[in-house]
Amino acid sequence: MTTDGQPMNDSTGDDEAKTTDDGSRRTDGRHTKADGGHATTDSEFATPSGAGTDTEDGHGLPPLGSVRRYLVTTNHKDVGVLYIVTALFFLIFGGVLALLMRLQLWTAGQGLLSAGAYNQAVSIHGLIMVFWFLSPFAFGFANYIVPLQIGAKDLAFPRLNALSYWLYAASGLLLGVSFFQGASFAGGWTMYAPLDLPMYTPEVGSTTAILALLLFVVSITVSSVNFLTTMHRMRAEGLTLRRLPLFTWTILLTVWMMLFAFAALLAALMILSSDRLLGTTYFSFTEGGSLLWAHLFWFFGHPEVYIVFFPALGVMAETFQTFTGRRLVGRKWFIASMVLVALQSFGVWMHHMFLTSINLQVKTLFMATTIGISLPFDLMVFSLIYTMIKGRIRFVTPFLFTFGALVLFIVGGITGVFLGAVVLDYEFRGTYWVVAHFHYVMVGGVTALIGGLYYWYPKITGKMYDEFLGKVHFAAYFVGFNLLYFPMFLAWETPRRVFDYPPGLTPWHQLATIGAFVLGASFLLMFYNLTASLFTGEEAGDNPWAYSTTAEWTVPSPPPLENFPGIPSYRSGSIDFLAEDERSAIGSGTAADGGELTDGGVATVSDQATDHAPGHERITDEGEGEDHASIWPLAIGVGAFVLLLGASGFQGASFPDGFAGTFYAGLTGIGALLTGGSLFGLTRERFTGPSGPFGESWPFDGIENVKTGVWIFLASDVVLFGAFIGSYVFIRVAQGWVGWEPVPHDPLPGLVNTYLLLTSSFSVVLAMVAAEKGSKRGVVASLGLTIALGIGFLLNKGIEWQELFHEGLLLSTNVRTSTFFLTTGLHALHVIAGLVIAIYMLTRATRGAYLEDERPIEYFGLYWHFVDIVWLFLFPLFYIL
Amino acid sequence: MASTKLYAAIYVVLFAFATLQVAVEELGFLGEAYWVAFGAIIVLSFLKALVVAGYYQHLRYEPRSLSYLILTGLLAALALTVAASYSIT
Amino acid sequence: MSWFTQLPEPTSLPVQNGIVPRGTMVEVFRQIYFVFLVLGTLVGIVVIGYMCYLAYQYRDAGRGDADGEGGEGGEDGEEVDRPTLGELPTGSGGGRKLFTSLALSAIIVISLIAWTYGTLLFVEGAPSQGEEDFEVDVTGYQFGWEFEYPNGHTTDGVLRVPQGERIDLTVTSRDVWHNFGIPRFKVKSDAIPGQTTESWFTASETGTFQAACYELCGAGHSAMNAEVIVMEPTAFEQWYANTSNTSANATGSGNATEAGANATNATTTGAPNGTTNATGGNSTGNALLGATTTRSA
Ligand code: HEM
Ligand SMILES: [Cu+2]
Ligand SMILES: [Cu+2]
Repeated sequence: MTTDGQPMNDSTGDDEAKTTDDGSRRTDGRHTKADGGHATTDSEFATPSGAGTDTEDGHGLPPLGSVRRYLVTTNHKDVGVLYIVTALFFLIFGGVLALLMRLQLWTAGQGLLSAGAYNQAVSIHGLIMVFWFLSPFAFGFANYIVPLQIGAKDLAFPRLNALSYWLYAASGLLLGVSFFQGASFAGGWTMYAPLDLPMYTPEVGSTTAILALLLFVVSITVSSVNFLTTMHRMRAEGLTLRRLPLFTWTILLTVWMMLFAFAALLAALMILSSDRLLGTTYFSFTEGGSLLWAHLFWFFGHPEVYIVFFPALGVMAETFQTFTGRRLVGRKWFIASMVLVALQSFGVWMHHMFLTSINLQVKTLFMATTIGISLPFDLMVFSLIYTMIKGRIRFVTPFLFTFGALVLFIVGGITGVFLGAVVLDYEFRGTYWVVAHFHYVMVGGVTALIGGLYYWYPKITGKMYDEFLGKVHFAAYFVGFNLLYFPMFLAWETPRRVFDYPPGLTPWHQLATIGAFVLGASFLLMFYNLTASLFTGEEAGDNPWAYSTTAEWTVPSPPPLENFPGIPSYRSGSIDFLAEDERSAIGSGTAADGGELTDGGVATVSDQATDHAPGHERITDEGEGEDHASIWPLAIGVGAFVLLLGASGFQGASFPDGFAGTFYAGLTGIGALLTGGSLFGLTRERFTGPSGPFGESWPFDGIENVKTGVWIFLASDVVLFGAFIGSYVFIRVAQGWVGWEPVPHDPLPGLVNTYLLLTSSFSVVLAMVAAEKGSKRGVVASLGLTIALGIGFLLNKGIEWQELFHEGLLLSTNVRTSTFFLTTGLHALHVIAGLVIAIYMLTRATRGAYLEDERPIEYFGLYWHFVDIVWLFLFPLFYIL
Repeated sequence: MASTKLYAAIYVVLFAFATLQVAVEELGFLGEAYWVAFGAIIVLSFLKALVVAGYYQHLRYEPRSLSYLILTGLLAALALTVAASYSIT
Repeated sequence: MSWFTQLPEPTSLPVQNGIVPRGTMVEVFRQIYFVFLVLGTLVGIVVIGYMCYLAYQYRDAGRGDADGEGGEGGEDGEEVDRPTLGELPTGSGGGRKLFTSLALSAIIVISLIAWTYGTLLFVEGAPSQGEEDFEVDVTGYQFGWEFEYPNGHTTDGVLRVPQGERIDLTVTSRDVWHNFGIPRFKVKSDAIPGQTTESWFTASETGTFQAACYELCGAGHSAMNAEVIVMEPTAFEQWYANTSNTSANATGSGNATEAGANATNATTTGAPNGTTNATGGNSTGNALLGATTTRSA
């Protein structure tokens, strides 16, 4: 529940600050603008260790280069570096596993690794490369570059950004630990059911790996909310969506896809964890458990394909423009194509299931959508190619890599069309053709990102890498890559994830193994080059690349903590840095974009209009004293690690007996305390993030950051519950819809609970009305009523469950009880999370909070009403129909 | 924004709809014409959801973008549910 | 189905019906794959070649900011407008070129897929009427394959089929997700617990071939193979008749497994053809062979 608590916390923590200063401060007129929500006048005093005492950077942040800085930092550039470095570490981890596999494949049959070890290597290699390497690597750049490109000082919620990183790091560590718990997960990165259940993969390490992925998904969800809020709300004046630099565009679309796709994966993994830990029977139910997993997984899985590829496309577009000295040909079509692909990516997933028992009509439909989705890619490829015309192309390392990446992507795309023809897919499925295809596409993407690493290296470090070594790296990389993957097309009849193959194919596999080592060795060159250049590289200067355009090149390398010398604005058609006082004149300057744009044109006007509503009146207290340090994200990461490591020992709804059981139970307890305590610490901490006003905020003008964040989070929660309900519907359809009896014999307890929740929703509304009217008694009473009703809901549910348990209806009894308990249980967890927030707010309210600023109550209400709405569907589905 | 009176009226309507849903079952409509009753119950749920979202979460008074945001999520979930269920029929 | 009748060997049919490839899975695959390969290679070479040409043509050879020598573009052959630092991102023109290329590639891709769709319908379709197919149930388990013949006879790890006959497979699994495939005959089908999938193939040559598992299913996945023995139709008839005999002679219906085990032993040790002695096939076997010989009717 971290994710929903967070956006609120920023503002509730803020209220704490007000109340401890006995509220009188509110009247001194030095309020902050509503944008940014939590920025208050207290901020100058808010730094924990005293601003500027120990650092050149100020704001309590230890100096660059010290380890301590990276433990407490929340600055987007530091977090970006952390992401990049950690992701590269996982590249090595996944790479070593791959080399082990290639060694095994040197000859057909058993070799170096045992069969079980080979399967672990295959599975964890896939998981690491797709999840722990590729996306985080891209998001390292996104963290570092996107705020610079859009003219923001930081992300909207800097602490949540650090939290995303630490949850990612914790999840990666957890995955590593899984190898030491018997064995890690060995069911493939697609984790098909029922092989992913304890009956077939009983090792504790398998559970750990799955929980690690769950934690990773939580991290992604947090950062999706953060990035979307930032990118939509905090753009420089004149930087309307259509004007966004292409890298930022690709990240924007990536994050949108992440928000929805990962919510489906979250549902899948929650159900899987429940099957493993609590003994529910979703994926083991005979009539369709396997297919259910495949649907959930690929509904996420296909968008994931573009999630990992889009950032690479963005890097290609940026570097093609810079190094050809041309603007992108057909830029708006390029963008339109990407939007189309992003939307359509949610409608092609069954092309991964062509060989299953799905019906022919659906196959036809998904064949058509698959072909449809390949066409926009054609356009993008041509657009990149045509951009070279009339260029002044300089073949420096970054361009070599992205040029190479385009070549690889073309090969990957063409071979993908083969797979789109269902008749051919029937043969290629499960063979090295698929392996070769997706490596050309995905590792092609990696190639572009490596180009990005060289491209932005001088910006991030201030030093230039060694160009000669860079070129050698590219040569070795490109040769190694093709030597590794092209023979796989020729040896395509080798079954996938198998270390045995017809002896005739041995030469191809040996070539591939040689290629793998060449490719691996080329990375050693890169690591050497990039490390050595840190110390010996030439000073890079602000902008080492001719014809680069984007804003990150207008600031020093590395950029200062606050990024820009003034407020970035594109009012004049190109970037200017305005002084503080020039900013106030902006409201009327909406013609900067030449009038051809519909989005964002009126942003600032409406922003201010809305924010000047009564009770929201604030004046700008721009940017002084933002905070950059917080230890709590790290603490929560540690807590989550311990908690999930403990939980991995849980199986069939209990801990095992003996020492191991006690050990795991203890860990779970400690982890829960740590996580809860640090969440509380995070909430209590005074922290000031970037505050507005911002230039362009379309389409969320006038909806301040925290509120935008809450809504975006709720949208992902819609998909989470949607996937749970979808699973339920799927299972019912598989079993014949009407033959299904609701688990509770009597809808009455459910009806009572509906009444309770509806009433509690009403009382939250009353609390807000009371706060608006300034009635402290009203706020306290209504919040108290809400809490009482919420507790009543849980009690009623508890009694109902208790009775069902007594009748012998347990979670594990059958798939009917499983869906009932798990879906309504997830809802109950949401209620509990809401109650925790509400109780926290009640204690604040008794001390007079929220009377001046009722927004925290409003935001809590948004969440609470959402939970209410979910119940409005769960009740009929599980009690009546 | 809406007045307390309106909020209260909405509350009453919600209460009534929930009761109605159970009534449909208790009066045996589900047994007689399952799919008609099914449709009625689901429609009632959607109506309730609309009212809560529109007024309690005051989406009616917010920029449309927020409604579209939530609808997008809903659409994704529906696509998954409908297509997956259809694929096995 | 008139063209069918003149042909002696069903498997060597010239498999065209107009332009939609038909025939055995092998033939269908070979034709489609060939066309895709030729076109794919062609497109790949043209596109990548063009890229490399452009990269060479417009390389920065220190010529200054003048136009590239060729200056092939018609519309903006004059001064080239270079991007500048800090500008609002915009694109350059060229939409027409883009859409021409897109249209070209769309035509290629869509017509290719549409073309194969006809074959998909054929492959997925029910066997043409008048044909009696030989049906085998395939069940995957960790880690092996079990085959059940129409007469209830089961074998483990060895699938015997008559040459030239369309074999319909109904595939499922007893535990986790597997995938049954015989690469030589280009047939592949998921084996999913609780689900059945269907596919078919026609073996055009006799001999022993390998079937493998194409979905990761656990530690034994790499070795989860089976033997596919394709027999002369008459030899198969004899063998098959014999198995149904043993099944029938055994103590009722429950003993199929034992019979299966016997048969397996017999086939794995001895030469497949002719060693089993044909003591007169029972009715099932005859009907089947009758179907084989009269399938062109
Ligand atoms: C944007 C770049 C692309 C990426 C990153 C990508 C990635 C992948 C991946 C990871 C798989 C493996 C699924 C598995 O584990 O079985 C896959 C399979 C597939 N890809 Fe792509 N792909 C891309 C482009 C395309 C294109 C352009 C097409 C078609 C026109 C395509 C069609 C397919 C099909 C049909 C499969 C299923 C193969 C099978 O499992 O039988 N892909 N792709
Ligand atoms: Cu896909
Ligand atoms: Cu297998």
